[in-house]
Amino acid sequence: MAGAQTHRLGNAGLIDRSAPLNFRFDGKAFSGFQGDTLASALIANGVKLVGRSFKYHRPRGILTSGSEEPNALVELRTGARREPNTKATTAELYEGLEAASQNRWPSLRHDVMSVNQLFAPIFVAGFYYKTFMWPAKFWEAIYEPAIRRAAGLGRAAGIADPDHYDKAWAHCDVLIAGSGPAGLAAALSAGRSGARVILCEEDFTLGGRLLSDGGTIDGLPAAAWLSKTLDELAAMPDVRIIPRTTLFGVYDGGTYGAIERVNDHLPSPPEHQVRQRLWRIVARRCVVAAGAIERPIVFAGNDTPGVMMASAMRTYVARYAATPAKRIALFTNNEDGWRTVETALGAGLQIAAVIDARPDVSPAHRSLASKSGFPVLHGSVSGVDGGKDGVRKIAVSLTGGARAEVEADGLAVSGGWNPAVGLTSYHRGRPTWRDDIAAFVPDGAPPGMVAAGAANGDFGLGACLSQGFAAGAAAARDAGHNGKAGIAPVADDEVFSLTPLWHVAGKGKAFVDYQHDVTASDIELAQREGFESVEHLKRYTTLGMATDQGKTSNVAGLAIMAAVSGRSIPETGTTIYRPPYVPVAIGAFAGHHRDETFHATRLTPSHHWAVEQGAVFVDTGLWKRAQWYPRAGEKDWLESVTREVKAVRGGVGFCDVSTLGKIDVHGSDAGAFLDRVYINTFSNLAVGKARYGLMLREDGIVYDDGTTSRLAEDHYFLTTTTAKAGLVMQHLEFCRQVLFPELDVQLTSVSDQWAQFSIAGPKTRDLLKEIVDPAEDLSNEGFPFMGAREVTLRGGLKARLFRISFSGEMAFEISVPARFGDAMARNLMLAGAPFGVTPYGTEALGVMRVEKGHIAGPELSGTTTAADLGLGKMMSTKKDYIGRVMAGREALVAPDRQVVVGIKPTDKARRLRSGAHIIPKGQTPGPGNDQGYVTSVCFSPTSDQWIGLALVERGRERIGEIVHAHDPLRGEDYDVELCNPVFYDPDGGRQRG
Amino acid sequence: MRIVCPFCGERELGEFTYLGDAKPVRPEAGASEDEVFDYVYLRDNVAGETSEYWYHGGGCRTWLKVTRNTLTHEISSVEPAAGAGAAKVGA
Amino acid sequence: MAEFSWAPRSSLEKALVAGAHGTRGIEAGISLTEIRNFDLIQVMARRGQAAELAKVAKARFGVAAPNAPKAIQTSDATLIWSGPDQFFVLSKGGKHTMQTLATSLSGPASLSDQSHARVLISISDAKARAMLAKLSSIDLHPDAFAVGAAAATSMDHTSVTLWRGGDRDGLAVFNLLVFATFAESLWHMILDSAAEYGVDIGHSKEF
Repeated sequence: MAGAQTHRLGNAGLIDRSAPLNFRFDGKAFSGFQGDTLASALIANGVKLVGRSFKYHRPRGILTSGSEEPNALVELRTGARREPNTKATTAELYEGLEAASQNRWPSLRHDVMSVNQLFAPIFVAGFYYKTFMWPAKFWEAIYEPAIRRAAGLGRAAGIADPDHYDKAWAHCDVLIAGSGPAGLAAALSAGRSGARVILCEEDFTLGGRLLSDGGTIDGLPAAAWLSKTLDELAAMPDVRIIPRTTLFGVYDGGTYGAIERVNDHLPSPPEHQVRQRLWRIVARRCVVAAGAIERPIVFAGNDTPGVMMASAMRTYVARYAATPAKRIALFTNNEDGWRTVETALGAGLQIAAVIDARPDVSPAHRSLASKSGFPVLHGSVSGVDGGKDGVRKIAVSLTGGARAEVEADGLAVSGGWNPAVGLTSYHRGRPTWRDDIAAFVPDGAPPGMVAAGAANGDFGLGACLSQGFAAGAAAARDAGHNGKAGIAPVADDEVFSLTPLWHVAGKGKAFVDYQHDVTASDIELAQREGFESVEHLKRYTTLGMATDQGKTSNVAGLAIMAAVSGRSIPETGTTIYRPPYVPVAIGAFAGHHRDETFHATRLTPSHHWAVEQGAVFVDTGLWKRAQWYPRAGEKDWLESVTREVKAVRGGVGFCDVSTLGKIDVHGSDAGAFLDRVYINTFSNLAVGKARYGLMLREDGIVYDDGTTSRLAEDHYFLTTTTAKAGLVMQHLEFCRQVLFPELDVQLTSVSDQWAQFSIAGPKTRDLLKEIVDPAEDLSNEGFPFMGAREVTLRGGLKARLFRISFSGEMAFEISVPARFGDAMARNLMLAGAPFGVTPYGTEALGVMRVEKGHIAGPELSGTTTAADLGLGKMMSTKKDYIGRVMAGREALVAPDRQVVVGIKPTDKARRLRSGAHIIPKGQTPGPGNDQGYVTSVCFSPTSDQWIGLALVERGRERIGEIVHAHDPLRGEDYDVELCNPVFYDPDGGRQRG
Repeated sequence: MRIVCPFCGERELGEFTYLGDAKPVRPEAGASEDEVFDYVYLRDNVAGETSEYWYHGGGCRTWLKVTRNTLTHEISSVEPAAGAGAAKVGA
Repeated sequence: MAEFSWAPRSSLEKALVAGAHGTRGIEAGISLTEIRNFDLIQVMARRGQAAELAKVAKARFGVAAPNAPKAIQTSDATLIWSGPDQFFVLSKGGKHTMQTLATSLSGPASLSDQSHARVLISISDAKARAMLAKLSSIDLHPDAFAVGAAAATSMDHTSVTLWRGGDRDGLAVFNLLVFATFAESLWHMILDSAAEYGVDIGHSKEF
């Protein structure tokens, strides 16, 4: 066991002394106990200096005991799990914990950058705006890199996080934030009423301030009441208490975000366990019992290690049996601060003095002081003498002008309490000012949310219990649960009696925002320079913009601004509150969606067969599609793709095209419906035939294309492109439900029902004859081009056969129910072996469609009309259809539109690239003479050169013209010839043969 | 945000797709270019209550007409959009 | 002449590894079973024929088809609501097929075969709800999602049909129909979500 815990009390506290834990801070070995935080364990070991401040690199200690901590930020863990800016005050101690201080070099005690303090006059508010203005060209080269090196707190791991994160939904009637007296009372009443309750507690131990401040509830000591209450709640099946969980945000419709630190208290999560879990909680009502945050008073040297919030000081003593100081002074402006004196005395610590800023101190406290032998000084702390080893002496300005000095090694400060107004203000609610406690209290909370107890500005234990209980019962009732809640727990209310005090004038830096090193004089400067609005103040000084979001600093900053601008605090107002309440790891938002599972993936029915074939896959939307099937000895993709194309054109090949969207269109008006959504007519399509169709958007631009077959009088089978499958389904449902409700049409996606293969090449029929039942007539007469019908396969399986071609070859598409897709691929290989059947991927598919001049995604670009694509003749003039009127707009039928045309390089050896601009030959490229661009290119094995499709102004009138291709992105310029887009078999003999 | 689908009950936003203003009605077949232009492009930018098309594509595939306040995000009614955009023949 | 085999292959053939997964040494909190032999027919009322379909369906199945998000058990099928005026007929393979249903239902309804379009997964045991809460945004509390409740909903941005079957050993059983091409992806997401509870994986030809 390393190091003696010199600052640990001999007994008491909620630590488990039977479970000692070893840990290291900045490489030095220490020990603590189960139940410690890193902060309490450091305190127990007498460590006062834990970090350096952001801007001035000032030595900093531990200020608070909770998630509001601005100072004690450390790098926790090492290697891939290293996490910067972890609050030592909330990090649970575990065996082997390793933490390192931040923002110092070479060491915490000797930090070179602390020279920044000497330059403090230039690091004032607006420093960046003022300093790095000139010369402008210095910004990128010098200023920004230098700032980036100096700025930031802690170092990210820089390695992928090895842990798993999780996301989950939860539902309840009543959601409660906080397990202090108000939260527990709310859980009791809501739970007893029969409501489903979720209570989130940030801490790893339930009880909130009861753990530190004790008290008497229903005649029982707080600890006994707590344990009895938790037992009662545990017995309620619909009350769920989630510790280590912070409610960080509230969203529309009663949805809340919470982060659960499931295994942060262990060195690493056990196998199969998650590190953190992001909860999305849907709640009908929410009771915010998140308590209040004690606020500092701004005085010179208030950031010296050893200066600590009074409530935190007694938490360390009472809950953790750790003593931040042996001789403590208290600086308070309210009665609550005195509780620290009582706790310290009870633990046998010495009180050096109480500096009370109020005019009067109660007789009870006076007699306590005289009995315990410490002075009560009326006045304020105006300076602290100390440094990285902590507080030594405290300078006091006494009421009336005299000065005094107090020797102490710790200074507890209480400036009053600020209710935690974050959650209640996240829907732009503006908290309102309450004079009696000199603090903002919640107002304008999101629908269904109320604050109770200290979070509502009522700090007394009795008030917390009664308000929490009433809020829980009301919330349950609102959610429809009227069970007997019983009576509220009872306790006395403590006196609060506060005299506001925000800032004590004095010599030296007086910090408002500890984490961002914003001082009182920065705020005064901002006011002088005209940044008086709180939103300006915030951005100009960066007040409240650090990872703690100003939990300890915002109100003091506003108060100082109010004072210097001659306004009241409520007139000065608050900035807008935004979630998250505490920092949330990106990993938690991602959950299991990382690496291969970043998004859902769709696999075709023959996917695993293609994997066996060694296919290279390409992501197409969510799909994995076989891109090509490399063979041994092939040196690159082009060689494989060229082989596949040649094999198809010279024999037969097949490709899984199951990714096409497939929709069953049923109903007596199915044909009439298709007539309205396609530009061409489908009601006159014969049963057993297929037809190519083109759909427009209502604005006249082409939306999607595909082949639709009529399988029965009242049944069409519609296909869409892969990319638009879901959107076309949505569009058709819109047409069916919203626009044309009078039609008898039913739509069903059958994309997943059918495995569909394209079989292409002159030997297609030979192959098919091996697969289909010999009774099926596949001759040109028996199964003509654009035929579509059900066939029986050898073995009796029913399939659908479509004689359609996208490649320009003799081709069929064959569909079988999806679970037979794998068998179909294998059987095609088997049946096709004598004909040299070759599976081909999407690249070869693309090459053949470009050779044949078929349009695809790059041409269906959301800017092209049917006429642009050369399909203007398909536009029926005999019927109305989606997009008809808008397609006739002047600009969409203008003669100089860019239309699809073929291109080939004049230098046959040149490679084409899509994206190149088309410029008239002999002209200097510029926006004025840009006539279009190259949409699709490929190396055409058939033409033995690169070919492409382009959208070119008046392109079809200019066939044969040589134009210039300008590709500034790749620095290429070359000439191309405009040509017929159909490079292959222009008269269509092959596909009809 | 949550929408109460009249068929499925209350569901989270992720199950729905937004389309836009549910006020315009598709002009009938003989309408002029101007009328169709207004239908396609002309939209009010309402600060307050507005009706919108939402598609419950992650659920029952029903198109819904949602009345929502753009200032408070409060949803006051959700109904099937059946026929909501259909040309009012003879109107 | 080549000898063809037309063996059906589930989308989960590769991904599903029967046995234990995730945390060991505890009683598995999740039981996952893929059910592989079923027919699934989508039945949609023709325009204005919903009442007629209800009548015909009742005559065919002996119970009323669901007109709200419910799954109704008949003697040899489960009728699952899938949207307004439409439902699924799920049965053991070969029981209620397109052919057998067409004779009685094709007048007032359109039928679409979805038998191959979906994968059917049954999820049960003590941690079923906790695991499903990671994938489903809907409330599966016993009071909110009783036996026979059904939902057309989404998991991992993927449309699914979820319903609660009869309890087994006092524990809820959730049935999930997921699109076949998404199934392997969702399966991995289910395993990732379930791993901490310990999983017992299997497949079955029986319901």
